[in-house]
Amino acid sequence: MISIENLHLTIEGKEILKGIDLHLQPGDIYGLLGPNGAGKSTTIFALLGLRAHGSGRISVLGRDPGEHAAAIRSSVGVMPENAGFYEWMTALAYLRWYGRLYGETQSQRDLLPLLEKVGLGTQGHRPIGTYSRGMKQRLSVARALMPHPSLLILDEPTNGLDPKGRREIHDLLLEFAAERNAGVLLCTHLLDDVDRLCNRIGIIDRGRTRLEGRLGDLLAEQETDKRYRLHLEAEPDTANLPAGISLLAHEGDWWRVQIQFEIPGGPSTLWGELWRRGWRILEIRSEASSLEELYLTITAPGHSHVQEAAI
Amino acid sequence: MKTHWTIAYKESAQMLRSQRGLLWVLAFSGLLSAFSLLLVSNTELSLLDNAQVVYMMSGTVLASGALLAAILGSDAYAGEKERGTLVPLLCAPVSVNALLTGKALGMLTAWGVMFAVATPYLWAVGASGQNLGAALFYLALFGTPVVLGFGYLAMAVSARTGSVLASLLSTVTLLMLAASPLLIGPGLRGTAIGRALDAVNPFAGALNTLDSVIIDSEPFSAQFARLLLVVVWLGLCLLAARRSAAHPNFQ
Repeated sequence: MISIENLHLTIEGKEILKGIDLHLQPGDIYGLLGPNGAGKSTTIFALLGLRAHGSGRISVLGRDPGEHAAAIRSSVGVMPENAGFYEWMTALAYLRWYGRLYGETQSQRDLLPLLEKVGLGTQGHRPIGTYSRGMKQRLSVARALMPHPSLLILDEPTNGLDPKGRREIHDLLLEFAAERNAGVLLCTHLLDDVDRLCNRIGIIDRGRTRLEGRLGDLLAEQETDKRYRLHLEAEPDTANLPAGISLLAHEGDWWRVQIQFEIPGGPSTLWGELWRRGWRILEIRSEASSLEELYLTITAPGHSHVQEAAI
Repeated sequence: MKTHWTIAYKESAQMLRSQRGLLWVLAFSGLLSAFSLLLVSNTELSLLDNAQVVYMMSGTVLASGALLAAILGSDAYAGEKERGTLVPLLCAPVSVNALLTGKALGMLTAWGVMFAVATPYLWAVGASGQNLGAALFYLALFGTPVVLGFGYLAMAVSARTGSVLASLLSTVTLLMLAASPLLIGPGLRGTAIGRALDAVNPFAGALNTLDSVIIDSEPFSAQFARLLLVVVWLGLCLLAARRSAAHPNFQ
């Protein structure tokens, strides 16, 4: 659905993209990660033909955005970051109007189910100017879904949503990708969103793709130790620790431990072993998710710029 | 519905339903009321003849239309960008031409409303004269390309700079320069510089035509050169707008 190979793009004499690679297949939910200013939004605009690329190859739904921008845009639902609305319109009137740009002729009644899907079913007749930020975010998702796209591009879709709203949008995206065998390109800073939704990721930094591939494969290749904080009922016996775990420090009832990456049976086996050795564990907290560690490693200053593609 | 009509519908509805649009109509009506009162008083005192009054009123309507076009054109891209509504428009399958045409149709609606508001005022000050019909016809024929031209020019600057303020300042400054024949008086307009400015100035071209048909009762055939001037002006502004809108400043 999307294939980008070694994309370079210059804006006003400054090279913004210096080698972007991105591959998204039908059914994929692809997490595009990167720090602010890494080039994520510019990559999206290049995909839609809004930025003429200098060199490299882009194909979106089998077409070149430089030559078939309108055809691509008619099949792609886009939720840009911080995008606004005509606030004097009601949500239903706005969606109906926006749909006409895609050649859709739905009535306001036809659009009600879509608003219900994003949790705005009872708010459709209110002017958008009276909406909260979270409601506008939901309406943005509805706007992206409205033209029945085969590819969805979402830039920070859960910004400003409460946990329930985030979960609802997650479920909606999973349903969308599964039912229509469509592709979803998700740009986000929220690694939890990526952890929960995405099967593929790409990490870009300073205009280059640093890493791309299947999330599971990349995490498995990472081979780094994990750190946890354990809340214990009482002081444990630290002299006799099982293999694969080492003690880092403790603050009151919380004990920081590090676990080797390849523990047979995974961390849960280790927690059971600790329990048998008298560690009365009340709570376990991961200090950083595997994805977070991967992201921080890849985008750290001084990290090798060699791409570790695992396509 | 073609996408340019969809854009035009939004532009017109936004103008006609908003407080901004209502305030503009009220301000324009107030201006015309005050001007009419002043001119009618002068006519009754025989200080101005009827044709002169119609000409001055027509010029005022034309200048107000061009100013409105400059404001709407400046808002067309940069205003949408500042409100965050430009990117969703660009992400939709809307061509550069459709977007420009839709915006221009919105401006035409606003110009149409202004024309409709101005008509009774022109009738009030010019009903007793013989050239009211000609004034209305030539105001529409020459005023529309001049107003649209300023609108396209403002859109060109607006799309290029992405700033309402920059676009408004540059377009209004140009409009003031173009309208300077109204200010500099017939003596200076008779000089070589004044004549050269008149020859390339679409605003002066439209005013000179209004002068020619309303005051001097000259025929349509005498207006071809000026008509060509305003049409060329419109074409150049359209080209500039298309060029800028093909690569708008949206990020």
